[in-house]
Amino acid sequence: MIYADNAATTKLDIDAFEEMKPYMIEEYGNASQPYFFSKTPKTALRQARKDIADCIGADPDEIYFTSGGSESDNWAIKRQTTISSDIRCIITSNIEHHAVLRSVESEKKYNHARVFYLSSNENGLINPEDLRNLLEHLREGVSFREPVLVSVMMVNNEIGTIQPIAELAEITKKYGAIFHTDAVQAVGHIPTDVKRLGVSMLSASAHKFNGPKGIGFLYSVEGLDNLIDGGKQEKGHRAGTENIAAIVGMAAALKKNCIQIEKNMRHIKNIENVLLDRLYRSSLDFKRNGTNHLPGNISLSFLDADGEMLMHRLDLKRICVSTGAACDSVNTQVSHVIKAIGLPDRYAKGTIRISLGKNNTEEEALMIADAIIDILKEVGSL
Amino acid sequence: METLCKYCGKTLSKDWIGLNKKLISKDIKKFACIDCLADDFDCTVDDLEIKIEEFKEEGCTLFL
Repeated sequence: MIYADNAATTKLDIDAFEEMKPYMIEEYGNASQPYFFSKTPKTALRQARKDIADCIGADPDEIYFTSGGSESDNWAIKRQTTISSDIRCIITSNIEHHAVLRSVESEKKYNHARVFYLSSNENGLINPEDLRNLLEHLREGVSFREPVLVSVMMVNNEIGTIQPIAELAEITKKYGAIFHTDAVQAVGHIPTDVKRLGVSMLSASAHKFNGPKGIGFLYSVEGLDNLIDGGKQEKGHRAGTENIAAIVGMAAALKKNCIQIEKNMRHIKNIENVLLDRLYRSSLDFKRNGTNHLPGNISLSFLDADGEMLMHRLDLKRICVSTGAACDSVNTQVSHVIKAIGLPDRYAKGTIRISLGKNNTEEEALMIADAIIDILKEVGSL
Repeated sequence: METLCKYCGKTLSKDWIGLNKKLISKDIKKFACIDCLADDFDCTVDDLEIKIEEFKEEGCTLFL
């Protein structure tokens, strides 16, 4: 089996798993209890929060554990105290993950938020000048006093484009607004320092960086409203007994990936080049979507091909990739990101995403490329 | 529409025709039975039967 869908999820790092095990079997005490048996989990919780904070240049007090990226995004958008009044603006982009887009839509529907969408260019990049112009327009207009939240993802999950987050955050700050970034695809894969980026909030998910599923975090320097009422966990904002094993696993996986980040990036970039080189040498007509890519995130659109067919055929060869277009037997539904970058239909329908990770090899990259070439040549010759 | 396997002449079911369309092209006019398709794709018949079930669960109208 060749797993090349690391943007969807990653293999749990074995060292992270080993660190988790004691908290599943022996050290199962509730970290909120005052007796001796809870000391080890309590210490582990504190250390994990510190390790995670160190990895992203934050203070431990600014890290809130969540169930993952979607919860972090929902919390940042729906429960941010500075802007939780009924009258407010949310600025986001048209290529965000659905966890952001649907949270924003929900705020519009239930809390009367005014929503503005920044359009990406043909490479999936958000132009900082568009944000500046919009904020300027809002400042000049009647909505001057409305609190504004800007949410733009750090790396696009479908096409891998890395956004100019520092620039966007700086502009946002100048206008007194709050900047959130969904960094689920970035954290643990490219250097991510919240202070250098200048973001107020950042979402991350452990299973995207070789940690366990069902755990993530939200970095926030802003006030947060309660997400879950109950106990005192997460400063009383998100009640519920902590999943120490998962939190420890997340911290271990992130720490390891951050220590090896340059090495991993070089390795992944190398195998990405091997795969692309093999495809470019074939006679296939295709485009690579996006620009300024996250290493390993390869969105390809093949002329007059069927992305869903290609994904299923690769699956039969035990190669796991994603598609950017799915067929409902009558029409091919192209993803909102592929639509947003304005790819011609003849290419858009033939879109797949290959996302390589640190465990992939050059040999696997060549096997993926050869399998794609074989399938598309066979179908094209019929 | 051709209702016999282009390789072995076996009578084709609707599911098999749907599978050909889904895994090769919606535009093809000649189809293979599930055994010949498995040979073509170098996979097992079980693999293809699982695919049929998945497509049905997704509500793909080619399999209704």
